[in-house]
Amino acid sequence: MSTPDPRDRRSALARLVTAGVGLIGAGLAGLVGLVAAPRSRAPERRWRTAASIFDLPADRPASAVISDRVADGWYETRSQTVVYLDKEGDGYRALLSTCSHLGCKVNWDDGTKQFRCPCHGGAYDREGRVIAGPPPRPLERLPVRVNPQTSEIEVQL
Amino acid sequence: MTRPGGPIARWLDDRAGIRDLKRVLLDEPLPAGTAWWFTTGSVLLFGLAVQIVTGIGLALFYAPTPDHAWDSVSYITTGVLGGRLLRGLHYWGASLMVVAVAVHIARVVFFGSYRKPRELNWIVGIILLHVVLAFGLTGYLLPWDQRAYWATVVTINISRQAPVIGDWIASLLQGGGQVGALTLTRWYATHVLILPALTVVLVALHLYLMRRQGISGPVTTQPGRSEMFFPSQAVRDLTVVGILAVVLVGLAWRGAPPLEPPADPASSDYIPRPEWYFLGLFQLLKYFPGRWEVVGSIVIPGLVMTWLVLLPWIDRGRSREPRHRRPVLGVFTAGAFIAGVLTLLGAMDRPAHLVAGWNVRERAGAALIEADTRCTSCHGPDRVANPIRPGRISRPPDWLNAHVVDPIVIAPGLREAPETNQPDTLAIQAALARLRSGAPPPADPGTRQVEVLVNRFCLNCHLVEGVGGKDGPDLSMIGLKLGADQIEMRVIDPKVVQADAMMPALGDKISAEDIKRIAAWFAARK
Repeated sequence: MSTPDPRDRRSALARLVTAGVGLIGAGLAGLVGLVAAPRSRAPERRWRTAASIFDLPADRPASAVISDRVADGWYETRSQTVVYLDKEGDGYRALLSTCSHLGCKVNWDDGTKQFRCPCHGGAYDREGRVIAGPPPRPLERLPVRVNPQTSEIEVQL
Repeated sequence: MTRPGGPIARWLDDRAGIRDLKRVLLDEPLPAGTAWWFTTGSVLLFGLAVQIVTGIGLALFYAPTPDHAWDSVSYITTGVLGGRLLRGLHYWGASLMVVAVAVHIARVVFFGSYRKPRELNWIVGIILLHVVLAFGLTGYLLPWDQRAYWATVVTINISRQAPVIGDWIASLLQGGGQVGALTLTRWYATHVLILPALTVVLVALHLYLMRRQGISGPVTTQPGRSEMFFPSQAVRDLTVVGILAVVLVGLAWRGAPPLEPPADPASSDYIPRPEWYFLGLFQLLKYFPGRWEVVGSIVIPGLVMTWLVLLPWIDRGRSREPRHRRPVLGVFTAGAFIAGVLTLLGAMDRPAHLVAGWNVRERAGAALIEADTRCTSCHGPDRVANPIRPGRISRPPDWLNAHVVDPIVIAPGLREAPETNQPDTLAIQAALARLRSGAPPPADPGTRQVEVLVNRFCLNCHLVEGVGGKDGPDLSMIGLKLGADQIEMRVIDPKVVQADAMMPALGDKISAEDIKRIAAWFAARK
């Protein structure tokens, strides 16, 4: 039986140490990754009351704030979503006030009759179509219905 | 042989070898002619030290939760001894870091110091530039004010545009279903744990490589002897650092700019603007419509950084003298100039339609808040509740509305606010919304008290400056049609002028003197 070359033994041990340290590092990194990794959750859409049909002015879209209690990790908070309601033919139109560019809140500007974004200068017409600036898409239209009993406009959000 | 130093130094040297340590740290041979331009790195070390120490101070008081972050930062500036200076130093220190990084990079580029064998250290430096910017970005979310909230929303949406992994990065940054509690803790951990750890490792590597390769020195070999870093260059470094320290304390003495109103995802009258060092990027985003937006947000910044990283391989000539490197220095200077112009354009941009003045109802509300006992009996210096000041109101709008309707209810958020159309209440609610968004009320030109009456008696039916009811005519320009006497007659009893007038006579509800003042106020509307 030949004695093993001590150099082989040293390099085998060196590989063992490298592998061990690597394993510990990978385990710790994996743990952090597991905790920090995003979980995809499809937000559940529900019908929510936005405003009474009698509250809508004829000459401009009206904003309505839809409040909702939502869980935010350990924290329960009130989410507030702003929608713009408007008459459209015999029915109603609801536009989400979030700019399609980078998510700032658009405002209705009565002077120019446009939705204007205060961040990067995006502008939309009354139907939510892009007129100017960087937004890539129109304002998001939300499904709308009217509750016949209460005459309230409901928005699916 | 006797060694210099006292007995303690000798005792330490025997056990810890501090003399060797000094040799390693300070006895760095510098090429002749190394001078003031080579102090920029020490300025960055100074800035880093300031940020670490003041950051620890802030962390002693800060609470990273959506319902306490704003209040805890507000407490640091108003309730902690020296807290205003502490936050001021951290705030201005961040700006100092950004400026110093830019100067340091410009120095390295103009001296051609990134040339072989210093390519690796140049890349470490470019990574450190990103770390400094990441500190700035994660830091200004932490106060959880309006700027913090909207800057974060925009940042996360920009990251969403990255190809393939954009959505994954965005949800990694956001933490939860919306920008909220989980985002704040994530960014806090990044700001105070991950980035500092990364900085320590990268700065150590940067200094190790700098010492291993020696500094590049002047672009041409200068006559004279090589000199040790300590003490002559150290004195130069300390001089520059000392001057900047005085400037920094001067800027920070009055604290950081005041907090903006607390984060409010539903606010529609807020104009989001980033910190000055991101204004250039902010302005760049405006030039790329529709599907080209990724060019402004990802492609151009990415190309600029790639060019910087590759500089040692792009600029490979033998001489480091600027006159032999005109193309590279020209591109660099032009880029710096464009970044400066974009920053200026971004700073000048204020959408006019949102910077409107206060309307009559809001002005009336401001007058009531200042003078009406319903407010002042509790709110004021030395009263049971805090004075009502612009940008210092942390309650959400529906809380405020409920509180104005029924101030006795301590926690109005627990139930729906009762409906009200009481004119004074509406005015106070409108003014509070304005104050909450940080707008200081306009100076009182002596008409506020009349405006309280106008709001109370006229705006239920009439529209003035875009607020009020629509049952009667719009009176915003009534002074063009009627004089003060004619208005006075109509207020006392409109039926005198028009037999079928719907408007009630106000002669028995308002004193004759007040009616005269109201009439004069309307006569001035033209």
